[in-house]
Amino acid sequence: MKLSRRTTAVATVAGAAAFALLATGCASGGGTSPESSDSPVELTITTFGTFGYDELYKQYEAENENVTITATNIDTGGNARTDTFTKIAAGSGLSDIVALEEGWLGSIMEVSDQFVDLADYGINDRKADWVDWKLAQATDPSGRIIGYGTDIGPQGLCYNGALFEAAGLPSDREAVAELLGGDDASWEDFFATGNAYKAATGKAWYDQSGFVWNSMVNQLDEGYYTADGELNVEGNTELQERWALLAGAAADGLSAAQAQWDWNGGKSFVDGTFATFVCPGWMLGVVQGQTEAGGGDATTGWDFADVFPGGAANWGGAFLAVPETSEHKTEAAKLASWLTEAKQQLGQFAAAGAFPSVAAAQDELASNPTPNEFFNDAPVGTILAARAQGVVAQFKGPDDSIIQENVFGPVTQKLDSGAANAETGWAEAVTLLNELID
Amino acid sequence: MTSTLNRPPAGSAQAPADGPAPRKAAPWRRRMSALDSKASPYLYISPFFVLFGIVGLFPLLYTAVVSMHDWDLLKGQGDFVGIQNFVTILGDRFFWNSIFNTVSIFLLSAIPQIFVALALAAVLDQNLRAKTFWRMSVLLPYVVTPVAVTLIFSSVFNEQSGLVNNILGVFGLDPVAWKHDVFASHIAIASMVNWRWTGYNALILLAAMQAVPRDIYESAAIDGAGPIRRFFSLTIPSIRPTLVFVVITATIGGLQIFTEPKLFDVSSAGGIGGADRQFQTTVLYLWEMAFFRQNLGKASAIAFLLFILIVLIGLLNFFLSQRIASAEQRSNDKRTARALKNYRGGRS
Repeated sequence: MKLSRRTTAVATVAGAAAFALLATGCASGGGTSPESSDSPVELTITTFGTFGYDELYKQYEAENENVTITATNIDTGGNARTDTFTKIAAGSGLSDIVALEEGWLGSIMEVSDQFVDLADYGINDRKADWVDWKLAQATDPSGRIIGYGTDIGPQGLCYNGALFEAAGLPSDREAVAELLGGDDASWEDFFATGNAYKAATGKAWYDQSGFVWNSMVNQLDEGYYTADGELNVEGNTELQERWALLAGAAADGLSAAQAQWDWNGGKSFVDGTFATFVCPGWMLGVVQGQTEAGGGDATTGWDFADVFPGGAANWGGAFLAVPETSEHKTEAAKLASWLTEAKQQLGQFAAAGAFPSVAAAQDELASNPTPNEFFNDAPVGTILAARAQGVVAQFKGPDDSIIQENVFGPVTQKLDSGAANAETGWAEAVTLLNELID
Repeated sequence: MTSTLNRPPAGSAQAPADGPAPRKAAPWRRRMSALDSKASPYLYISPFFVLFGIVGLFPLLYTAVVSMHDWDLLKGQGDFVGIQNFVTILGDRFFWNSIFNTVSIFLLSAIPQIFVALALAAVLDQNLRAKTFWRMSVLLPYVVTPVAVTLIFSSVFNEQSGLVNNILGVFGLDPVAWKHDVFASHIAIASMVNWRWTGYNALILLAAMQAVPRDIYESAAIDGAGPIRRFFSLTIPSIRPTLVFVVITATIGGLQIFTEPKLFDVSSAGGIGGADRQFQTTVLYLWEMAFFRQNLGKASAIAFLLFILIVLIGLLNFFLSQRIASAEQRSNDKRTARALKNYRGGRS
């Protein structure tokens, strides 16, 4: 009897301990530490893709001895989106600093009160640093600024000089810019040149229609949403005209119908499958990485021209935000602010090709051409600075990334495979849109 | 002195302790001991039920609550909408597409898997050299995480220069659109499932086969039954309960398949099961609804419908196996009756 009673007690204690463990596992430490600038503080930061921050973290830690930075980098913007959204939904788990992508900023703006108003942390003193539209994007409907702008995505054209030469086209970058129409470059010119290239070589002109379509949409004053936040797809003749152009190009065989973010393991960048590629600043790192993964190098022939069909375009760019759940808001805001200063943005550009959103850094790149070895010594910083001229911010609605990925993504793949044409493709996109967005 | 004086009262105080006092203490003790023997067993098994309540029952009920609301991933709880989410989902072509894909992939994986596992187990049940080596070898694929399996198979089934299409090319066959064609993609995904689970099921079946008494085989062999006859007439009937178990676990696992279709083609919208949802399973659709389209209400409705579907299929499995068992019982009874009748008939 006695023995069994003791066992009961042991069992009860063990059970209670197990639950206590469970409970502590669920609850995060609730205590807030005093935020004096000298006490040791550990800051967590989550970025995605190729952000180029590693050296900057080391520098900041060296300059601020009380700060330890624990960084997480998520492979793609899409996965970072899932990560961020899940943690907002769960109400915990976000880092002290979270990188937000322009494409899904529309969703974030619906819950912008989850992030601190950086006006409380001195962003107003730096307002003049950024190009004005970048600052406007980070401002929520009630006027709170929730993000320090990092990079922007002005688009130029990546092209393979060796393939151009083989097709009898000019290959130096000024002549290529001229060939495609220079400042008046249009998508019609781009596809017409593509047809000439195709006729000469029998090969595809660009990699796949999805990225071209993203560029075409991002370039417009109003994309999938009007500036007032209304859905703007059905009956949008401007969009539909561009769709017909793209469908025509795909039907002419100008698309190599590659899988996005795969490109046959990078091999298609090396074996001449396609000759041009739409390149926002941050994409330059991707092109280089893919080419190297496919066994190529600088001699593969990729180059970067100061021209873009349809005029200035911006695709992507990011912001650093501090969530309300952070326990070190002051320290986090200080680090995020420092990371987005002109000098650090130049460091980020050197490391990852991400083009600065701070005017002083852009001017620096514009006035000091530095050749990029991989891109046939093209002064990519100077070219991107030129491409950033005339870029306008487009309003991104709450479902922008779903429309891009889930509505038009599959249909552009069908254009490439020949399973859809301009009319059936557009009709399918509209059907999908009505089914997916409610 | 005082002690001697005081003794009698002390003694008298002790005396009742020997007599009525136990009667007084006993009810409390007895009550405790009764409580102990009655309550303790429940206490011992309570950790399971408390844990189940926290991680099983509560989420289940909470899912039901969420499924009856407008519930945005980021904005949280909205209005109560009753069964509206269920109605919408039941009329959603993507939901039915996902059910079709799930069932198709399930059939393509479960059926070959169980036959191959049976054959493997039968081979392993023989007197092989280095038994443990062979048994561990078939389990090896199970140790690899599904994510790694999918990454490797995704490369093997790459459409442009994947291993499979290259091999097909050697034989002069056209490359197959493994990530675009509905049937081809189902085969590719089923092959990952099979690769991972066949060995595991084979080991479970092997364990059941080892429990079959060897003397039955011996007497069957003496009676002239060959190895194939012995396998079908002795082995299979003997391991039937295990076989039913394997079928049921394969069913539940097959209906919840997620990792393989999620990572098979990440280039389409971050992995929603193909550009045209060619291999989007129901759990993957649930994921898309919750974390991509941010509609937790509808996602919970899908989760609940899937739960009901699995329960229904589980019940069907149960009745089928009951049927098989009772049919077997009936035929056994008949056989015994016949034998008895013959025996008696022979005697009379």
